[in-house]
Amino acid sequence: MSSSNKRQSVLPKVPSGPKAPVNFGSHVTIADSAILTGSHTINISSESVIHPRARLESTYGRITIGRRCIVHERTHVGAPSSDDKRGDFGVLTEDYVVVEVGSIIESGNTTIGEGCHIGPRVTIGKGAKLGKHCTITAKSIIQPGEVVPDYTVVYSNGLRRTDKRGLEILKAKAQARQIEILRRLISSNPAKFKD
Amino acid sequence: MSRKPAGVRTEYIETETGNKVARKANLVGTQHIMLGGKTVIMADAMIRGDLARTAPTSSSSSSSGTAPGSNTAVFIGRYCFLSKGCCLRPRDASTRARHADDTPSAFTYMPLRLGDHVFVGESAIVQAAAIGSHVHVGKNVVIGEFAIIKDFVRVLDDTVIPANMVIPSFTVVAGQPARIVGEVPEGGHEAFELRELYRTVGNNPQPASV
Repeated sequence: MSSSNKRQSVLPKVPSGPKAPVNFGSHVTIADSAILTGSHTINISSESVIHPRARLESTYGRITIGRRCIVHERTHVGAPSSDDKRGDFGVLTEDYVVVEVGSIIESGNTTIGEGCHIGPRVTIGKGAKLGKHCTITAKSIIQPGEVVPDYTVVYSNGLRRTDKRGLEILKAKAQARQIEILRRLISSNPAKFKD
Repeated sequence: MSRKPAGVRTEYIETETGNKVARKANLVGTQHIMLGGKTVIMADAMIRGDLARTAPTSSSSSSSGTAPGSNTAVFIGRYCFLSKGCCLRPRDASTRARHADDTPSAFTYMPLRLGDHVFVGESAIVQAAAIGSHVHVGKNVVIGEFAIIKDFVRVLDDTVIPANMVIPSFTVVAGQPARIVGEVPEGGHEAFELRELYRTVGNNPQPASV
């Protein structure tokens, strides 16, 4: 630390498109190197956490992130879909949603219900509707337009079962605590994304 | 570094201990990442060092006395190889370890430990608690939180290792979720050596000897 010629350790520049119009709630934690691009509005509600290198793209429709959501790094929310038809909005995630590393959520009336947990490297197709408290485990694929009922667990290459543990309240509490910790660890810079 | 031709931006930064770190690697929170030496980190590999342990709020006043390095988030041994697009991240332990009064314990993020000669394939996501020495992790593998992988393990491509799984030594695992599908054959240990692979990348790569 003492030597002055120590290499400045910075994240490489992120290639990004046009700056999206944004709308943040209170206490939003958003890392400096998160990417918010596109032409439609990106709404992030209060106490949500956006990790570095998460990409929210509103080119194909409005993005709304609910309260106390966690969007991990390398995710792509609002990705382009195979066909060109646009929906009324892009992606809507309700409260307490977790989107883990490397997941892709395609744009076009895609709705993620309250308390959903989207595991690492999941693909959610355009127009899919996930019910409340669903768990999508790693590398699962939800087809475009699919409707997933409440409390569904998708695992092992597309098998389904219903989550009957009744842990929603506990999970929400744990998530609130995790956000508390993340807020201290991730250096937030919401001002960068506002005009 | 001194041999670097002036004015040419090299692809890798080579440190004194022989680490080769691509300039295009995404390292977050570098002060919490410990490299053992001779480790290769390729472009677009991401290490989340910022998710380090933090002192509990109750004893934050005494945290100034902790030894330096005690909040290291990622330990990487010697001759590790992190391929393009892989992602290493420690996992938060706030949902696990807790005091009697239900407050999270001191270690909010468990450090991630990699042994020596660990190969991490392209686009793999590692959220494990510990990985032993001589482990081969294939392409597009997802390792769930708090998984423990012992020494001499081969994880085949596209495997999903569920959370909390413990993989014993000398096994081959595959599947979604992962199951043990075989054993490392007798005398198959040399295949895990990464010294040769280390020489084939960097600013002056040597051709691989056949």
